[in-house]
Amino acid sequence: MLTIGKLAALAEISADALRYYEEEGLISPADRSASGYRLYDQECVRRIRFIKQAQHCGFTLAEIRELLTLRGSDRACCDDVRTKAIEKKLQLEHKIKAMKSVSKALDRLIADCTRKGRPVAECTILAAFEQTGEKVH
Amino acid sequence: MKVELFHAPGCSRCTAAREDLKAAATAARADVEWREVNALDEMDYAVERGVLSLPSIVIDGELVFSALPSPQQLRAALLRRPAVRS
Repeated sequence: MLTIGKLAALAEISADALRYYEEEGLISPADRSASGYRLYDQECVRRIRFIKQAQHCGFTLAEIRELLTLRGSDRACCDDVRTKAIEKKLQLEHKIKAMKSVSKALDRLIADCTRKGRPVAECTILAAFEQTGEKVH
Repeated sequence: MKVELFHAPGCSRCTAAREDLKAAATAARADVEWREVNALDEMDYAVERGVLSLPSIVIDGELVFSALPSPQQLRAALLRRPAVRS
């Protein structure tokens, strides 16, 4: 059994993060010591590794909770998890598309700003941000 | 009228509902053109249409259902839309 400090060191995350995972229902201590301290087993270690990998792939803690539920469900199958992964990819592709659009808008603002060395009162980029009711891009 | 069901191969929710939804759509309107889109094969198109979850239903290019509707809900949505003149 591991104390919270030992588990945190092993998993390379903070003890606060572990307590937060517990509040979010992602992990729970396997036992308590005689003095009431949390004690964790190897399953907790595996769950934390799972959580970290899933976070690295862009899943939120709420989504990871769903994945952990699927992982422990007899009725779930691999296709259920695969669909979640495809949905996550769709969400990431949406964000990439939005970020590219923002990047293009900045390209246009940078290209429009040819007045090097002029006072900020004449800055076309700041002026564009002050426009109301009109999108920059 | 173009009705597109975006799905993932193997998605159990999609498979179960697909035939019922297709039957409801084609029965609701004679001008329905039903298409099933594999979101993984057509990721860019799915993103363009605003699809974030599976299954989703797009009608004439507009994302109308981002969660699985009942056949009755799909029928009602189709009947609300004006007919497209050819």
